[in-house]
Amino acid sequence: MTNQTDTSTKLTKQDIKKVYTRNLFGLQLGWNYEKMQGLGYAYVIMPVLKRLYGDDPEKMKKALKMQLSYFNTSQPMSHLIVGADMALEEELGIEAEETVMAVKTGLMGPMAGVGDTLFLAIYRAICFSIAAYMAMQGNVVGLIIPLIACAAVLWVRYKFTYIGYKSGRKMATNFSDKLAPVTEAASILGLTVVGALIPSVVSYKTDLAFTMGEVTFAVQTDILDKILPSMLPLAIVMLSYWLLGKKKVNSTRLIFILLALGMLLGNLQNILVFVTGLF
Amino acid sequence: MQEISVWFIALVVLYTAIAVLDQISIQCGIYTPLFAATFVGFLLGDLQTGLIVGATLQLMTLGVATYGGATVPDYLSGAIMGTTYAIISGEGAEYGIALAIPIGLLLTQMDILGRMSNSFFQHYADRCAERGDYKGVERANLLGALPWMLSRMIPVAIGLIFGEVVINSINALIPSWFMVGLKTAGAILPAMGMAILMRYLPLKKHYAYFIIGFVMLAYAGSVFTIMAAALVGFALAALHYMRTQERQAAVQGTQASYGGMVKIDDEEVEIND
Repeated sequence: MTNQTDTSTKLTKQDIKKVYTRNLFGLQLGWNYEKMQGLGYAYVIMPVLKRLYGDDPEKMKKALKMQLSYFNTSQPMSHLIVGADMALEEELGIEAEETVMAVKTGLMGPMAGVGDTLFLAIYRAICFSIAAYMAMQGNVVGLIIPLIACAAVLWVRYKFTYIGYKSGRKMATNFSDKLAPVTEAASILGLTVVGALIPSVVSYKTDLAFTMGEVTFAVQTDILDKILPSMLPLAIVMLSYWLLGKKKVNSTRLIFILLALGMLLGNLQNILVFVTGLF
Repeated sequence: MQEISVWFIALVVLYTAIAVLDQISIQCGIYTPLFAATFVGFLLGDLQTGLIVGATLQLMTLGVATYGGATVPDYLSGAIMGTTYAIISGEGAEYGIALAIPIGLLLTQMDILGRMSNSFFQHYADRCAERGDYKGVERANLLGALPWMLSRMIPVAIGLIFGEVVINSINALIPSWFMVGLKTAGAILPAMGMAILMRYLPLKKHYAYFIIGFVMLAYAGSVFTIMAAALVGFALAALHYMRTQERQAAVQGTQASYGGMVKIDDEEVEIND
């Protein structure tokens, strides 16, 4: 370190803990369409800025402007970036400005990708689906599952802060590669759970029946169940999956499509009776 | 028909405020329709209805998350109002679900409004930064909590205070085929949650695991529970993870790292600018 001039100030453990707590609760309070988490990020990193530039208004101004810039990433992953930022500013002081900017903007994209898959999609698929499945059967105990999982995530986020801090920029980049096999494994778990959920939570069964002379055919039990149990739920899910791949279909539009489908399927027997009555 | 007490409204509005803060911070679950509906059910002494309304909405919205700040329908407020009216009207869980969905969709706009209002605090913070006023920047972020909370608390409060009259009159107009259709829609709507999740997960690459999960519950639903399927999924994931680690270790030759232990201290970080 050649330029270690007047920045002998170091962060205390207390500072890092403060940043961690602010990162948990404050990153998105000021979320807005212009800078997204930009305002929140400045709030999160503020204990560091106060410690390092608290007695130098010029440096503080510079640092505040930089830290208020556009930022948006996955919340749990942001701890790695904040951690690296802390280390860089502690080592290099305000000289680190450009490096910090590069780290922030360079990492927020890839981190968001990994974090949203791991902490949103897979995490929800596992915790909340099990809790909801238990609740569906009238069991309130399942609600503990997300709470336990949340405690685990808080611990992971604490670790992330220190991993980011200890290793600065280099490791923060490497770490996202190391998460790749974990994400891969977690998606396998997620997909197994999703597959299992379909027969148990998409509870549609058709009440359609055909009468041929003396014999009545119940479409559900006599035909569909013999081919593949839960065939209709699977078909509806696959239809939704396919529709979501279309550019014009988002989740809100899909709701309307499914509502219409529900109207149709729920009244299918009546519609058939009506139609056959016409002839 | 049960009466809605002032205490109930106060508690629920307070819950809404905490829930929205949970939604934008640690997401421990208070913000989900599942927790909100259960809470309302508990307050009104009908836990079962709360659980069923909450669980159905939860399954439907499993994949609907605020990725990158996208606005999604406000199923939190929807669940609260839907459950309340399902219980006090005595119409049952399906009614609550059917009510929660349009309310959630309608309130999407409030989320956008709240996020737009926060631009004001961003500008305020920018001005503070010009002066080097870091306390002002902190204040701006904390005040940003207000639009978030109010954008949910106000609709919930209004919905609970005045909604009864409106809902009663709507009820009188709904034909029976429509209610039957809504009931069926309630049964198939969780398909959306599944489908969105599948879009985010690598289904095309790992479809085999999806089939394993499906078959377990479709053919042996009386034996397997979701928990069992999750454990099987975990075992499969662990096998896959071990295999990739071994393959990596083989590629790296002697530098084998069995069991996937990642030693962070191995890599010395040097900043030589």
